[in-house]
Amino acid sequence: MSHFLDRLKFFDKVKSTFAGDHGIVTAEDRKWEDAYRNRWRHDKVVRSTHGVNCTGGCSWKIFVKNGLVSFEMQQTDYPRTRDDLPNHEPRGCQRGASFSWYLYSPHRIKHPMIRGRLLNLYRAERKTGKDPVESWEAIQADPEKRKQYVAVRGLGGFVRTTWDEVNEIIAAANIYTIKKWGPDRIFGFSPIPAMSMISYAAGSRYLSLIGGACGSFYDWYCDLPAASPQTWGEQTDVPEAADWYNSTYLIITGANLPMTRTPDAHFATEVRYKGTKIVSMAPDYAEYVKFADLWMPIKQGTDSAAFLAMGHVALKEFHLQRKDPYFQEYARKYTDLPMQVILRKFETGYVTDRNLRASDFDGSLGQTNNPEWKTIVFDEKTSAFVAPTGSIGFRWGEEGKWNLLEKNGGSGAEICAQLSCIDQRDDVVPVGFPHFQPGESAMLYRNVPVRRLKLASGEEVLVASVFDLQVAQYGIDRGLGGDNVASSYDDPTVAYTPAWAASVTGVKAADIERTGREFAENASKTKGKSMIIMGAAINHWYHNDMSYRSIMNLLHMCGCVGQTGGGWAHYVGQEKLRPQAGWAPIAFALDWNRPPRHQNSTSYWYFHTDQWRYETLDADELQYPGAKGKYKGYRLADYNVVATRLGWLPSAPHYNRNPIELADEAYAAGATDEASVGKYVAQQLKEGKLDVAFADVDNPVNWPRNLFVWRGNLIGTSAKGHEYFLKHLLGAQNGVLQESGDGAGTKEVKWHEEAPTGKLDLMVDINFRLNSTGAYSDIILPTATWYEKNDLNTTDMHPFVHPIGEAVMPGWESKSDWQIFKTLAKTFSKLSEKHLGVRKDVVALPMQHDSAFELAQPFGQVQDWKRGDCEPIPGKTMPLIKVVERNYGDTYRKYIALGPLMTKLGNNIKGIDWNTDAEYEELKHLNHTVTEPGVSFGMPSLEEDIAVCDSVLRMAPETNGEVAHKSWSALSKKTGIDHHHLYAGRHEDKITFRDIVAQPRKIITAPTWSGIESEKVSYTAGYTNIHEHIPFRTLTGRAHFYQDHEWFLDFGEGFCAYRPPVDMKALGKLPAGVKKKPHLTLSWITPHSKWGIHSSYQDNLRMLTLFRGGPYVWISEDDAKSVGIADNDWVEAINANGATVARAVVSQRVPRGMALMYHAQEKNVNVPGSPSTGKRGGILNSVTRVVVKPTNMVGGYAQLAYGFNYYGTVGCQRDEMVVLHKIEDRDVDWLERPLTAEREAAPNPAGIGKR
Amino acid sequence: MNLHKFLFAVYPYIALTTFVIGCWIRYDHEQYTWKTDSSLLLSKRYMLVASNFFHIGVLGIFGGHFAGLVMPHALWTGLGISDMQHQWIAILAGAALGILALIGGTILLLRRLFNPRVRAASRYMDIFILAWLMLTLLFGLSTLPVSIGHAHHENPVVMLLLSQWVQSILTLNPQPELLEQVDGVYRAHLVLGITVFLLFPFTRLVHILTAPLNYLVRAYQIVRTKRSV
Repeated sequence: MSHFLDRLKFFDKVKSTFAGDHGIVTAEDRKWEDAYRNRWRHDKVVRSTHGVNCTGGCSWKIFVKNGLVSFEMQQTDYPRTRDDLPNHEPRGCQRGASFSWYLYSPHRIKHPMIRGRLLNLYRAERKTGKDPVESWEAIQADPEKRKQYVAVRGLGGFVRTTWDEVNEIIAAANIYTIKKWGPDRIFGFSPIPAMSMISYAAGSRYLSLIGGACGSFYDWYCDLPAASPQTWGEQTDVPEAADWYNSTYLIITGANLPMTRTPDAHFATEVRYKGTKIVSMAPDYAEYVKFADLWMPIKQGTDSAAFLAMGHVALKEFHLQRKDPYFQEYARKYTDLPMQVILRKFETGYVTDRNLRASDFDGSLGQTNNPEWKTIVFDEKTSAFVAPTGSIGFRWGEEGKWNLLEKNGGSGAEICAQLSCIDQRDDVVPVGFPHFQPGESAMLYRNVPVRRLKLASGEEVLVASVFDLQVAQYGIDRGLGGDNVASSYDDPTVAYTPAWAASVTGVKAADIERTGREFAENASKTKGKSMIIMGAAINHWYHNDMSYRSIMNLLHMCGCVGQTGGGWAHYVGQEKLRPQAGWAPIAFALDWNRPPRHQNSTSYWYFHTDQWRYETLDADELQYPGAKGKYKGYRLADYNVVATRLGWLPSAPHYNRNPIELADEAYAAGATDEASVGKYVAQQLKEGKLDVAFADVDNPVNWPRNLFVWRGNLIGTSAKGHEYFLKHLLGAQNGVLQESGDGAGTKEVKWHEEAPTGKLDLMVDINFRLNSTGAYSDIILPTATWYEKNDLNTTDMHPFVHPIGEAVMPGWESKSDWQIFKTLAKTFSKLSEKHLGVRKDVVALPMQHDSAFELAQPFGQVQDWKRGDCEPIPGKTMPLIKVVERNYGDTYRKYIALGPLMTKLGNNIKGIDWNTDAEYEELKHLNHTVTEPGVSFGMPSLEEDIAVCDSVLRMAPETNGEVAHKSWSALSKKTGIDHHHLYAGRHEDKITFRDIVAQPRKIITAPTWSGIESEKVSYTAGYTNIHEHIPFRTLTGRAHFYQDHEWFLDFGEGFCAYRPPVDMKALGKLPAGVKKKPHLTLSWITPHSKWGIHSSYQDNLRMLTLFRGGPYVWISEDDAKSVGIADNDWVEAINANGATVARAVVSQRVPRGMALMYHAQEKNVNVPGSPSTGKRGGILNSVTRVVVKPTNMVGGYAQLAYGFNYYGTVGCQRDEMVVLHKIEDRDVDWLERPLTAEREAAPNPAGIGKR
Repeated sequence: MNLHKFLFAVYPYIALTTFVIGCWIRYDHEQYTWKTDSSLLLSKRYMLVASNFFHIGVLGIFGGHFAGLVMPHALWTGLGISDMQHQWIAILAGAALGILALIGGTILLLRRLFNPRVRAASRYMDIFILAWLMLTLLFGLSTLPVSIGHAHHENPVVMLLLSQWVQSILTLNPQPELLEQVDGVYRAHLVLGITVFLLFPFTRLVHILTAPLNYLVRAYQIVRTKRSV
């Protein structure tokens, strides 16, 4: 009863003794145990998960006590997988288990915050009687006033304000921008919707309604494997983790499973108990290496050389020597290997050109619909060239023949596509293949068997199958004579023998040879159960598509893609927004107006942060000698301008004129409809009165003006070329250690001697934690954490859809993202009635993949209207010109209701359309209707977060069996094959939000994806392409070894070739002080961390406590010793792009020549100043600069057509080199000094100017 | 009632009552606060000297005060220690231990105030009580010259008066008049010292009352009875 009184009974404590007085029995009070019981006692448990980047998709129990989240724990109530598979649970890692720290942490953003100086300016203007928009205008019109708050971005100075005031300011800024510059100058960035799709949809819906542009993320993060759209016409589709367990041979390269796929890694370890062999390829002793049977320590950036050599072995032994029947059948039916390619004369031999088409033949082989888009094989049965079904020409304009059934597209007769003409050849000719290994010839001529053919044009050409060309390109000797082929694996002079690859990669030739053979042998025996798991470490390079294609080649040779237990498994930043078809209309406001504005972020930031002005890479040097070279002398930025001009890539802003004014002018000039507006725009372009924005991107007319970032850390970790963002986009203190000039000499982009700084008028960050993005913003809005809102979450690692759940009310003044944008929309609507009213908006839409416009530009030959090749015709030789009418005053009323286009136009995904009337009516009852009078009265309500979730679930085929039925019916019509059996058992299922709160639910098989949900096979990519004969969404309808677009050929990437890392030339401008000191020159590798990112962040105290408490760089023991660096010393990594300061981790794990800094280490915790820049020590991207690749810009051409996050330039950053040197402890400067006028006036490092 | 009477006849009882009841309540209801709040984890510098000097000094002084003031006078005379011997022992031991505590305490106080990590982890009361103890110690040391003067004149009267007053308080028969003629510095030290008892339950000083000495003699295995809890 009383501890004190109990103490008085000290001598009465022992009640009895035992064990010879060694033990005593007492009757002491046991109340103290309650403290431990209470630690785990709770009031309720709510299901939720972690919301932005994590592909784990783990269901968590969130424990709530006294209204606060006290801790989280793994849920273990998933539906089972299959009897013969381990289950998915328990799912969750140390990072997820630490997330609850953020709710009540010092990083938490509790109230709306604004830069104090901006607020003072705004309030002063408002006091003079101006309305909000006029007040904003007054600030922007006065450069001195604007500079006051722009110059101190990143230097603190935030004050608290109210939601009303902050909404007013943001709305005013948006309205002013729309009026003055155009809605396409408003930009929003938020990553990876699948993990909290309603939150994503909130901002994108608001932006889409007002005409702002949403930036892509997958390509910007360089997680998009460009090779996937190139090869399959598919953004990314990968097997669920459980399918690893079905594999019998695994190669893992560049994907650190236990580190980044923690909850799924068990499948890879468990499958070893079945006898599966695991081969790992990694330069460092990464965690996944530990459970491999073989480790190939490969030199970073040389992966494709190793895989090409494995392909050399597989192709030679299994296709040429054994003629493996399974492999050959697979190659004939599902790959472009039998497709015929026209050869073009070059020098004394030939080079490869475009694919042969039906239109090349007399009468187009009977094809009247799209004959230019029907590719040709040689049929062994009829000994004739035929156009087989399934090529993209059959996808559009006709029905029932878009399939992979091995049929003649004309007669419908069975065919057998011939792989090689070697036994029936007309001739053998030398064909030059591009080669990029320094010190070796740039063109390798190899003999290829060919057929002679007379085209309809009368021209006589030589054609060869992709197979025969590919065998030659792998350097395999077929007894045809000629140079550059090897009959022995030990020939180190010929690419791509194992011996040659060994000299490039540092891996033993015998290991490469044996792995190639075993991989193929296993696939042959199991019909494709050989799998390659890959990820960021090989995908973040400039030539990542080459690395990936080298792997895909191997997989296709061995018939692995589309087979359970086989194929590729790409895991980095990939997501699976399972109910995508239900979500997209809400996210991009397609229910109210179409199309939305989308932008590929890499090009966007490349231009708007002026990184192009520093470009060191010469496009000409990337081409091969056989290039047609129409654009010789163009810089990389010029290529991008061409791409936007021709309707390949989008551009925000579109043109150097406000699109609203452009519409007004068009109508004033007599335009009456969309088509005539398009004509007007084309005419303006042709006359040079109008130009694409990127052509003069530094002109204030073309600057981005307003930027929203939500759910992301654009500036803090995602900014490749971080310091350039700070300098040019934000006008903040920055560490760029050079002035621009290397990028000059552009032919399409106008060069200004003086580079602009501080382009943004307003940056708004919406977050629950104050990271570097918030620190550089002008306004920060407090959002609900992942335990404080209702949302949806799906992943590709498992087939379940589950919720993010509101365990507690959003803390302090925070709100869910959906509610934040809802209130913003309300304020915006009110203010815009006076200032905007109803306006018409010209939207320039690139030729979209999965639409008929992917057939815009035939033969892959570039027709540039500006160079006089053709006329500018919207939707054909330039972007589609669409006119969208926006009643700005209705923005809010539209935001809160599911709009009328869902019944008027229906829904669609990946080129399949269906009617959605029934779901629309159901949603009126499920979610109730809007009661506010106006344009949306009586429509299904989207006011509450759960209503939005249910709308998504109801409209998606994955979560509504009826919609699955409708979408499969539409696809069945296209393919002429009955696919209904795929979802039959679940026709009646309708998953609701309350269902998934009760338990995660398995999705329904949908045509959105290429795998199926089944009791017999695990989900795997390409399954329906192989087993249902649904074509890949490519030119040939098959998986592509060969790319015949002119730019691909110019840049030597028609076939996959080994391309070494590019030289970024960033080491030439180092400070003298650094050069004098002992230093290391290292390649800059930025993998994922064990103690941060994805489900939590690095600045989480629990994570910081586990390792070093701040940023760190791993280097090898020998390197460290050579320059006197000891473990935990401060070091600086530096190059022309900037500098970053961190602690050194000296480890045997790392090989020499490499610095390894984990991705997403923040600079808000424990980062001192850099002695070289005099500014804050930076982040991993302080020493990188983004660089774009012309082949990734190609559009309007089958699978090479634009799609949001599907295709476009990728933000690679791994080819970079840095100099690393030690900083003495006494030289560490934390820069903890007040802001002085002097400091404010010096945003750049000493000696660096504005240029 | 004048101030003298209040300070030396009433205030001691307020302080002692607060001390006993305060500690009791805190021990019963705030068990998790019953701790030393050691800052050794935050900074170890100088702590070997500072902590040991301070604790040895303070504990020694406490023991000395207890022996001299609380133990009956007859005990010492019975042991053959004369009053003058008693006084010299008190002066010498007090000086030695006092200086030890002064050195240790000064370092501790400076550390608590100026070591940023320790300062950040300090509550207001942690700083206050240490400062208070040091103030009391300083006054205690200031009595030494006066006591040495008494000793030179072979005059133990003040020492005996102080002892008698303490015993009068403890026997619930307060005699504040005993202190009327005593030098002011003694009285100031007394008030400061009594206040330490008053503050005691609200500070980290409570850790003095508990020491895990039982570990030295406890049985290897301790089990509970089967009675329901």
